[in-house]
Amino acid sequence: MNPWVLTASVTGACLIPCAWTCLHGSAEKRLVGLEMTGIVVTIALVLLTIGYGRLPFVDIPLTLAILSFGAGVVFARFLEKHL
Amino acid sequence: MTAHAIAVDVLLGITAIACWLGVLGMVRMRDPFQALHYLSYPAILGMGALTVAMFIQTGWSPAAWKSGIILLVLLASNSVGTHAAARAFRQREKGHWQPDPNDPEVEFLGGRPPS
Repeated sequence: MNPWVLTASVTGACLIPCAWTCLHGSAEKRLVGLEMTGIVVTIALVLLTIGYGRLPFVDIPLTLAILSFGAGVVFARFLEKHL
Repeated sequence: MTAHAIAVDVLLGITAIACWLGVLGMVRMRDPFQALHYLSYPAILGMGALTVAMFIQTGWSPAAWKSGIILLVLLASNSVGTHAAARAFRQREKGHWQPDPNDPEVEFLGGRPPS
């Protein structure tokens, strides 16, 4: 296991408290958990692309970073107006 | 162990610590406004250290440049997304998001504006 995969594992473990935040508490706190999950998964995917030597796959975390921003803003607007 | 490998290991450690600091701070804070602040640790510090580590590891490769683009996307989207979320929270809490002169919780710089 190289240091990139090891760091990806340690970073991926952050998803457990993120999932706990998304599943418990107020709607506002859950939205914060969702946004944090998007950032952590993006970082973990970048680490995995280097760790396994699949450099072209770095497009996937780039796409996720852009889409998770849109998802967060859409959920925020939905929370503001409809929930 | 070369200096490059040590630098990469240190930067990866910073990435992991930034992620854990942000996540634990987010879980620890009860107020969602406070929890929002902890998004910046992994988005800026974590991804910044990871981008530098990628440039050291792979050189001026397309993957390293794309990692830099991811950092820029996270820098921009974190500030905009945090502001949008905070505005939505305030709208839900108070029914409006603009500063209200009659709101006792609001402090205006230079005194209160005439109501």
